[in-house]
Amino acid sequence: MSTTPEGPWQKNPSLAWREIDDETVIISPTESVMHELNETGSFLWKNIDGLRTAAELAAMLATEYEVTPGTALADTEALLQQLASSKLLVPAGAASAEVPR
Amino acid sequence: MDRLIARTVRKHRPLSVHFDLTYRCNERCVHCYLDHENHGELTTGECLAVLEEIAKAGTLFLTFSGGEIFLRPDLFDILAAARRLHFDVSLKTNALLVTRERAARLRELGVRRVQISVYSEEPTVHDAITKVKGSLERTLAAIPLLLEQGLQVKLACPLMKENLMAYRGVMALAENLGVPYVLDLTITPMMDGSDGPLAHRVSTAELLPVLQDPVLHGCHPQPVSQAAGTDETQSPSFSSAVTSGIDGSAYDDLPCSAGHNSCYISPYGDVFPCVQLPQAAGNLRRERFADIWYHAPQLEQLRAVRESQLPVCSRCEIRAYCERCPGLAWMEGGDLLGAYERACQLAEQKAKLAGFVNPISAMHAEQGPSVSEATLIRESGSFLPRLN
Repeated sequence: MSTTPEGPWQKNPSLAWREIDDETVIISPTESVMHELNETGSFLWKNIDGLRTAAELAAMLATEYEVTPGTALADTEALLQQLASSKLLVPAGAASAEVPR
Repeated sequence: MDRLIARTVRKHRPLSVHFDLTYRCNERCVHCYLDHENHGELTTGECLAVLEEIAKAGTLFLTFSGGEIFLRPDLFDILAAARRLHFDVSLKTNALLVTRERAARLRELGVRRVQISVYSEEPTVHDAITKVKGSLERTLAAIPLLLEQGLQVKLACPLMKENLMAYRGVMALAENLGVPYVLDLTITPMMDGSDGPLAHRVSTAELLPVLQDPVLHGCHPQPVSQAAGTDETQSPSFSSAVTSGIDGSAYDDLPCSAGHNSCYISPYGDVFPCVQLPQAAGNLRRERFADIWYHAPQLEQLRAVRESQLPVCSRCEIRAYCERCPGLAWMEGGDLLGAYERACQLAEQKAKLAGFVNPISAMHAEQGPSVSEATLIRESGSFLPRLN
């Protein structure tokens, strides 16, 4: 499966994370940095499964939160880019041994 | 982090859990507060069920400790389950059983931090405390194995009569290794309340050279936070015996995190607010974690406590220099809300070093000289009333 900037992505398997009251806390182990996602960010995070593309995630977001498809796609792509640049997401199919910690 | 703490405290989410997997140990530290016999530890399956429950309840920070955790043959099964459930995992160990292969396995299973007890850089001092000849050498040999794997290592050095002046050596050791450390002044009674370990606790007068050491706090102790925290930097730090791994500045008027967003689970499934407050709120063999956490009267009572409403301590002029622990207040003074001798004495010493003239705690001010004399009798080890 090839990975484009649009995905699909998977969660970095080395992360610690927990959804607490609709918000998600993510710990990046190498830097010991904590990231927090709001409710819509948490919704996307939950649905990042290594299979769905950005467009598919955006469609789910638009349905769940009643936002326009254009807004949903822009927000989804921005979040995915941010998470990938922080190594919280990695290309789908990456073996855990290859995943940067 | 403050926002997360404030949010979890407000909603009573168990963000941080300290889970002792066993009380069995391969050392016999003179100051230890545990009964090392196995009275029926949770099975592997029961441990995994506990992890499922606390993950569902919102726990992120999970510390496995003991006893010595590597004595559990299923340790890696438990760690693998913790990884699958996405916990942020820390370990506390004496590291005697750490090998290169085990260190690599810890890394594979996503363990982030390992805290190791080191009592001195001198084998004779360290080994005399652990009662295991060669233990310091084996512990120190494990540290590079863990560091090679990219794990964060922290040294913990409880200070007692046997090693009071060893802290400088431990600090130098940590510096050479490039790891943080924590010096711990807390020696507690046994969990069953017996006071054997207190024979190893140094008096506050004996602590003066340490408190005055310019390397620690720059000679001028600063007012402490109202809640326990932990310092992950390499700067000198003291700590209570139990830390949640989270910053304490968001606790506001609460004594500490215990029962608010953290708790302790014993190897037998008992749920306590904290290892230093061994009042079981329930048992996970009989009840679900969420039922205990949200409905146990002991936890509800603890959550109602506010620092500003403590009957004696809220009036204390040197409260800012005090590290009062509710658990120790209960174990040593018999009152969760009360003051206790050790905390008052330490606060007075710290306030004096900070420039206060004849600082006196609220408890001592209320007791007056005759009661202080009685206190001295308690400190000397006798709890019997004087008959003459």
